[in-house]
Amino acid sequence: MASTDMTVADVSVRGIVPPSVTLAEPARPRLLVLGTSLAIAAIAMGYIGLLGHYIAERAAVVQSGSRWLPEGVNIPLTQPNFQGLTLAFSIVTIWWAVSSIKHNDRFYTLVAYALSVVFAVAFIAQTAFLLEIMGADLVAEGVDGERTVLIYAIIGTHLVMMVAAIVYAVAMAFRTLAGEYSSRDYEGVLASAIFWTATVVLYGVMWYVVYITK
Amino acid sequence: MAESAVTVRGRTAANFACVPVRATPGPTDKLDTIHGSRNMALTQTRPQTHEPTSVAARGPSGILEVTDHKEVGRLFIGAGALFALAGVIVSVVAALESADLASFSVAKDADEYTQIWSMGRDLLLFGGIVPLLVGLAVYLVPLQIGSPTLVFARGAAAAFWIWLLGSGLLITSYLMNGGPGGGRRDFVILWAASLAMMIGGIVWALLAVATTILGARTQGMTLERVPLTTWSFFVFSLVGLFSLPILMAELLLAYMRLRYGHLGAPDSESLVGVLNGATIAPAAYWVGVPVLGMAADIIATHTGVAPRFHKMLMGTIGFFGILTFFPDLVGFGSVRTLDLDNGLMVVGLLVMSLPVLATLAMVGDSIRLGKLSASAPLLGALVSGLLLLAATAASVLAQVEPIMGFLDRLFPDQIDMTNTLILNGTTFHEGVRALASGAALVAVAAAVNHWGIKIWGRQPAQSAGSAAVLATAGGAALWGVAEIAAGIQDKAMYPSASSDTSGALGLWGVLAMAGTAVMAVGLVALVASIAGAGFGKRAGTGPQGWSGSTLEWATSSPPPLGNFVGPPVVGSAYPLLDGELAYANAPAGPVDQADETETEES
Repeated sequence: MASTDMTVADVSVRGIVPPSVTLAEPARPRLLVLGTSLAIAAIAMGYIGLLGHYIAERAAVVQSGSRWLPEGVNIPLTQPNFQGLTLAFSIVTIWWAVSSIKHNDRFYTLVAYALSVVFAVAFIAQTAFLLEIMGADLVAEGVDGERTVLIYAIIGTHLVMMVAAIVYAVAMAFRTLAGEYSSRDYEGVLASAIFWTATVVLYGVMWYVVYITK
Repeated sequence: MAESAVTVRGRTAANFACVPVRATPGPTDKLDTIHGSRNMALTQTRPQTHEPTSVAARGPSGILEVTDHKEVGRLFIGAGALFALAGVIVSVVAALESADLASFSVAKDADEYTQIWSMGRDLLLFGGIVPLLVGLAVYLVPLQIGSPTLVFARGAAAAFWIWLLGSGLLITSYLMNGGPGGGRRDFVILWAASLAMMIGGIVWALLAVATTILGARTQGMTLERVPLTTWSFFVFSLVGLFSLPILMAELLLAYMRLRYGHLGAPDSESLVGVLNGATIAPAAYWVGVPVLGMAADIIATHTGVAPRFHKMLMGTIGFFGILTFFPDLVGFGSVRTLDLDNGLMVVGLLVMSLPVLATLAMVGDSIRLGKLSASAPLLGALVSGLLLLAATAASVLAQVEPIMGFLDRLFPDQIDMTNTLILNGTTFHEGVRALASGAALVAVAAAVNHWGIKIWGRQPAQSAGSAAVLATAGGAALWGVAEIAAGIQDKAMYPSASSDTSGALGLWGVLAMAGTAVMAVGLVALVASIAGAGFGKRAGTGPQGWSGSTLEWATSSPPPLGNFVGPPVVGSAYPLLDGELAYANAPAGPVDQADETETEES
């Protein structure tokens, strides 16, 4: 029913609304999706702010003819690429969870959630390994240390977001297990998938800005 | 069929769901029309208006369990008022030192002066003004859009406690020789962490407000019909949601650089500069966004005339919000040293006062058409709008330098830059911030007096409200003008012990100190007003207060748990004025049956 065509009688207000009143679309129920989307926008702004720092400071150093990465620091490409691949797999599984719950298939929803979390934990382990082999020293003196702090801040913030995505997914998995979500209402599953996807997209941005351009 | 406002078909007002009982005088004809001759919402027995889960009823420990948006709003307002007062008192001390930097009377040295100055600024903005506005938003928005609750109400309650904990830690960090200019690295680090915590709490609360406005409006309440106060809080929330995380990213970097020894603890200028993105124009005007919406609604109620240009007012408020967001639009990658020479920023600041002027002009239409009655809210609404206009107009002065610089690049050797007015880096920005902060605080004082009866069930004293409005406005104006004048005379924004404060600069310093002191008096009156309404004896069942035309005035004061007797259905932006209000699920009862009989007969 088109919202603008709704009449007073449609909502059973029993004649107490004047005829001039046309009703708008009723309040949208997907508040969790809405709130999650706003939260993602806010987080993205903060993250882009950090990346803005990185781009500006790197540009200034490169323009002066110096090397941006601190002395002795090396960012290999293999690990970041595999991290990206792992997250790409997790995108498939997290949306598999949404698809499953749409079909009232709770078992495969939980399987999809479990696989997503496994991929995410693998991603965190890969990030820890990458930080280890990068050889960056947070307490190095001078500009080297400052640049390392910036790189760690960007990678660390994304890790925190990944952990938040895991917590969100696990919470929604428990809700699904408790029978709260079904094909009629799968708002929480959808919201967690959106948050997960945003985390992966931000990794893509970071992958290019930090790992590729170095 | 014509009935009086308080007696309908032999029943008294107290028997009905939405029949107002007025405790204070105000324009009455509108509500008479709705509940009398149109007789629309009289479908249900009036519920008890006192909330069964009030904090007072549960005792002091119950305060930790609050999840009702009204209680969370009250907590934000009460705590915010106290922190604002503390912030202004600290600013008085900073102004006292700033008046004569040749000799320190309270602070031992320039670093300690920086700590005091910075503490005053942090407490006033993120401890006082923003939480006060957030508290009003948390309380009023669900009522104005017909929602029974705030979306993520428990999240908003958690946000309050996070913010409060952060505020406590912030004060602790300063007291333990931390903060910008502090000598103990651990507590300087704590300053960055606690400020991020405060801002995080605020962001969370803003998220709840914005989601509520987007997703929990009642039937008929389209986004273009939301009251102007709610609309301004929506713009305020969105700008806050998108700009405050950037500030948190700055604080994260400062935290890590301090933690790993890449930023010296006494490096006060770079630490103070972390907040530039929120305290220097145009971002400083962010707190002015709700001023416009609240002023429009308050003036409409107190003149009895709803704004004729509702959508245009929404446009001007939205445009003003976008302009306050300019630093973040142009600031990415500028390492947060605000690029005040940026062309987009210059244009934005030049036109900053236009939406304020347009809003005031359209609101003035209500004043022209309506009946003016002297009241603290009306006075506060007018004065806050004028203060904001003064603040935005002043920023034009700061654009002389970048414009002349641009012309100098176009026409070399023809522009004499030595005589150009250079205000960036001076106390000019302090003056603008004082005016914008003053506008927000005066608007809060007006709102507390206007919606006080709705918030606490008692009408705050008019005398205290008027005193709060006048003293806060007068103090802010004096403080702002003195700082702007000192800035024009090249007084540095971050003065040190070697700064010259003799002659006229000393005079401006004394005037700035007097301004902050008067402002402190105003905030004492505001706190007294809130305390009087919050802790005073409640007289009987909820009176309505002012006869407003927006939805919050359709329920009792304070509203019951769930806010309304049923989901309201509205047909206009001013349903109580236009008579387009009903309740969708009102149960059948004697009055309904009578209504249906009449309908059939007709």
